[in-house]
Amino acid sequence: MTTRFPTACLCVLLVAGAAAAGLLRGLEGFRPTLAAGPEPPWLPPAGAVRPLFLGYNALAADLFWIRTVQYFGGTRQTDRRYPHLYRLVDLTTSLDPHFVDAYQLGGLFLSLGRAYPEAIAIYRKGIEHNPDRWELPYDLGRMYFLDLGDIPLALEWFERANALPGHGHYVPRLVARLRARAGLIEAALEMWERMLETTDNEWVRETARKEIEKLRKQLRTG
Amino acid sequence: MRTAAIAFNTFREAIRDRILYSLLVFALAMIGGSLILSMLSVGGEVKIIKDLGLAAIGLVGILIAVFIGVGLVHKEIERRTLYTIITKPIRRSDFILGKFLGLALTLAVNVAIMGAGLLLLASAMEARLAWELLLPVALTFVKLMVVTAIAVLFSTFSTPTLSAIFTLALVVVGSLAEDLKLFAVTFGGPLLQGVVEAVYLILPNLASLDVGGAVAHGRPVPAAVAGLAAAYGLTYMVALLAVAVWVFQYRDFK
Repeated sequence: MTTRFPTACLCVLLVAGAAAAGLLRGLEGFRPTLAAGPEPPWLPPAGAVRPLFLGYNALAADLFWIRTVQYFGGTRQTDRRYPHLYRLVDLTTSLDPHFVDAYQLGGLFLSLGRAYPEAIAIYRKGIEHNPDRWELPYDLGRMYFLDLGDIPLALEWFERANALPGHGHYVPRLVARLRARAGLIEAALEMWERMLETTDNEWVRETARKEIEKLRKQLRTG
Repeated sequence: MRTAAIAFNTFREAIRDRILYSLLVFALAMIGGSLILSMLSVGGEVKIIKDLGLAAIGLVGILIAVFIGVGLVHKEIERRTLYTIITKPIRRSDFILGKFLGLALTLAVNVAIMGAGLLLLASAMEARLAWELLLPVALTFVKLMVVTAIAVLFSTFSTPTLSAIFTLALVVVGSLAEDLKLFAVTFGGPLLQGVVEAVYLILPNLASLDVGGAVAHGRPVPAAVAGLAAAYGLTYMVALLAVAVWVFQYRDFK
């Protein structure tokens, strides 16, 4: 009796362990089909979500931001359409209105997906909540200039960035070029070069390198 | 002196509790895990480490304060050691204050260990001493003192299970105090606003002791804000302890 009981336990352990491992393997086989296509994330309404996190809003914003990055990265590898991107960025920034990185990169992600009105909405929201940060009007100006080709609006936002303390040393130079409507390709080149210099992210660096290469080629061919 | 003796004894008893070590290991794992989580992000990596680290300190501290705090008095009644203590020339207030200070000392040691872990990690990430984290960690400790006082208050007249439920409910409501007020202003009429205003003033506003968000963004926290928040927390704690002592003084142990 005393020896049979541990043996039975061991048998059950081995059988159940092997069965569990087998089931997990089986489940793994289904995962690629489940994950196929851009996964629509669960998104509660941004306005009503704050009380749900019992004061840990900054932490919740971080987790939604990581989800945003994963969603953008995953979708970028497939069809380059981002139907949930704006809501994810909006939710993140509603939970933490001072999360400047989320506005900057969220706006950039949206502009790369050609969702310009949404990108403008995110940059404007960031500017409203962080009026002392020059980076956000600068990024909005850059999008107007590089993506939409709207020089008057780009100039307006660069001037706002230029008026804020701590702005980059290159901002006054860009303002002067845009005011004179001269050296616009050089201005675009400089904007991408600054992005290459200031970002820590390899993906942003790669995008900047490609754009710099294109613009240099354009300058060489005249 | 008698209070100090009870406090030291409570501290010794608390550090023998295995749950304390489990929670501490969990918190340190969470702080360490934030490094992995930050690697999944683009932008805001250091912010994620600071937010998660501060949240871990707060959450684990609340769990320690609640689950050890609610049993402080009840354990003594259950073991019948309280009957021996109250026959000695020890005031009941000394007993309650000693119990509270013992748990506060336990929390201080734990918060110091968790805070040091977070400080080391954030400093290593930023290649500079992230000394600004000391302020949110200190205010988290004040918040935990308030939570401990709530737990001690309930433990003077209720069972550990009910005390834990009441304390956690107050922690939740206290964390949402600002939202409660905002809700009344947005949707309520003058009567509801008046009632909510009264409730807002009575309930512990634990959200006012949270400056972690601002610190994680590198935004300055004015000394007046930090000082007022700490003073509010300590005053509220004193008020709770006064009620706890009062309730315990008149409790019949026959």
